[in-house]
Amino acid sequence: MADPERDARVAERYRALGREQPAPELDAAILAASRRRPRRWAVPVSIAAVVVLAVGVTLRVQMEERKDAEDVALSPRVMQTPAPADEVARQSRRDSAPAPAPASPPAALESRAQAAPEAAAPPAEVSADRAEPAGRASAGVAVGKLSAPPQTPEQWLERIAKLRDAGKAREADESLAEFKRRYPDYRISEALRARIAPR
Amino acid sequence: MLAYRQGDAGAFETLYARHKGPLYRFVLRSVRERGLAEELYQEIWMRVIEARGRYAVQARFTTWLYTIAHNRLADHWRRRGLTLVELQDHDAAAPPADEPESRAQGRQSLQRFAAALAALPEAQREAFLLHEESGLSVADIAAATGVGEQAAKSRVRYALAKLREAMADG
Repeated sequence: MADPERDARVAERYRALGREQPAPELDAAILAASRRRPRRWAVPVSIAAVVVLAVGVTLRVQMEERKDAEDVALSPRVMQTPAPADEVARQSRRDSAPAPAPASPPAALESRAQAAPEAAAPPAEVSADRAEPAGRASAGVAVGKLSAPPQTPEQWLERIAKLRDAGKAREADESLAEFKRRYPDYRISEALRARIAPR
Repeated sequence: MLAYRQGDAGAFETLYARHKGPLYRFVLRSVRERGLAEELYQEIWMRVIEARGRYAVQARFTTWLYTIAHNRLADHWRRRGLTLVELQDHDAAAPPADEPESRAQGRQSLQRFAAALAALPEAQREAFLLHEESGLSVADIAAATGVGEQAAKSRVRYALAKLREAMADG
């Protein structure tokens, strides 16, 4: 069927204007571009990089905060029952003198613990079920690291059990002795006792 | 285009070979400046290449291609404030002194036609060129240029009438 919007004479005259074609170099450039693979990976990789960076920074900050909390919770002074004001003053004087203090916490943390004892973890002498760790949600992480100081009696015992499992009998014995000194009244369950006892 | 989207480079070459002449002339006759036409022509194909992943069969490839071309030219006209440019020298070249009279008349007639085409309002010229070069139907022209079918038909008809008039003058 003839196109009602087409005029053969006009079309012929129009074609007489010429049948220009793009230059061969232009064809080559376009065809070369068409063969290049689309960079589909660019956007996903950028997003992944941002996510990894954000997660990394967040984890780092959380680990730093957790480490601070653990150091504060396990500093010798914080492990003790809160002392009256004159006792604190005496303690402060003792701190100013050089003293053999094995595994003493960093000075900054020490002063933080002294300045704000109410913000630190509860004393170790309280019963095990009252002793809320500074970050119970992170207990699994802390237990997993044998070198990290334990946060609660349960974690401490668990760490001793892991030392036993790892064949580190001497470290386990020392740690158990220290535990008994620190928690003389703590009742160890039968199941746990079997795991931590010298073999 | 679907085959090209799946990674078949040869499919693009086939498409390109089929459409390159008509699209090039469409752009060239629209802007009437070879360098600019080449630049726009290349950009249109680049848009096609970049859009390969998003291509979906909603219309004929030809309609889709000329929709991209229309949009690119619309950007161009917007930047130029819709001003028409003068005919290029090669379109209005003076006839050689020793050219026979009949050939000279034919040349002049063709120049009048080219001038009439150039003088068409942009929308009418575009509709006419789409009709002649791409072979799009009025409905497809309407789709490619984003107007109603009746408006597209009117544009083609007005363009044809003015071009016929220019031919009659000769």
